[in-house]
Amino acid sequence: MATLNPPKTAHDLSVFWTWMGDDGICRTKTKPHAEITLNDAIENSKAVTSLYKDKKFPLLVDSRDIKSMAKEARRHFSTNGRATKINAMGIMVKSPLSRIVGNFFMGLNTPGVPARLFDEEAEAINWLKKFV
Amino acid sequence: MQKNLKNSSPERVQEILDVIMAYARFDFSKKTSIIGNETLDAIGAGVNMLGEELETSTISLKEKEQLLKEIHHRVKNNLQIVSSLLNLQSENILDKRYLDLIIESRNRINSMALVHEMLYSSKDLSKIEIGSYVERLSKGIEHSLSKNDSCVKFIFNIEEGIHFDIDHMIPLGLILNEIISNSYKYAFPDNKGNITIEMRDTEKFYKMTVKDNGIGLKANFDVKRDSNLGMQLIYMLAEQLDGTVEVNGTVGVSYQIIIPH
Repeated sequence: MATLNPPKTAHDLSVFWTWMGDDGICRTKTKPHAEITLNDAIENSKAVTSLYKDKKFPLLVDSRDIKSMAKEARRHFSTNGRATKINAMGIMVKSPLSRIVGNFFMGLNTPGVPARLFDEEAEAINWLKKFV
Repeated sequence: MQKNLKNSSPERVQEILDVIMAYARFDFSKKTSIIGNETLDAIGAGVNMLGEELETSTISLKEKEQLLKEIHHRVKNNLQIVSSLLNLQSENILDKRYLDLIIESRNRINSMALVHEMLYSSKDLSKIEIGSYVERLSKGIEHSLSKNDSCVKFIFNIEEGIHFDIDHMIPLGLILNEIISNSYKYAFPDNKGNITIEMRDTEKFYKMTVKDNGIGLKANFDVKRDSNLGMQLIYMLAEQLDGTVEVNGTVGVSYQIIIPH
């Protein structure tokens, strides 16, 4: 079951849609051909943090339509050296481009929370549920 | 038309290659264009990100090099201040024994300062070419110890391309300083003679020979019994380099120092 269609209540950001799913997993989806800068990354983090109530939650990132992500944005998303409300990160990749960006992100920025790349949404949800 | 050209594989591959070659030259201003979502776009995006990461590492490396240069510069300046203070102190000393002690100390400090000066002036901050160092050190000692009527010549026979890091250069410089100073002070009563400095790199060790054609050591000279501070330093510093020293004082004085690789 596809759960990555942004609902009307989603935060509509510059290059992302971000919302909390009914299953307790936060979702963030890149808009088509998104070129993510540091400002976009910070804007997204603020939106993610605004969804926090009393417990850290996992985040599912749909980066299948990404075009590029700046180095500073990759550093920011790694969550290293900053307070974050997320406790795990699943990243959806599909196109060769999203796969390269995802692998670069994971390989060179070593996220501060458990993180994995996924081809299948169901697999990602299944893994992230352990962190809800 | 332009877009079609850029989309065609040979053109895209060439563009990506051009960017890779630019990065190989440490030119990180170039980026590949990402047109669609095909494999070549993905490779191009990967190359772009690799360039960003390499640029950060290169900048960081350059900053570290700059910092290291600055440190060597400051160490050298501080050593020169100490040397200058000793100079000033010596102006008020009339007793030749104390004056000699101050000059000896100053030359030792200068031999170390020269290592730091050569390190920050060189392209490679970690190594010094021994040949250039020996020539500059010898000139410094000559300037400090030669008398008005002196005619002491240096003969250098040093294999080109022998480099040492700072951990080797400081003791080596001090050793050379002591040997050359000893020759200046004791070998030539008429202030005339030659000092020869040779260095070879064998497969297993460096062999340095420093010899003069002066009056040699007295017949019953015993290294353990008769050594002055300078000679004791030579042995101590050679030991620090895991090396050995052999002294022969029958025809002039000759020191052979072996330093393992």
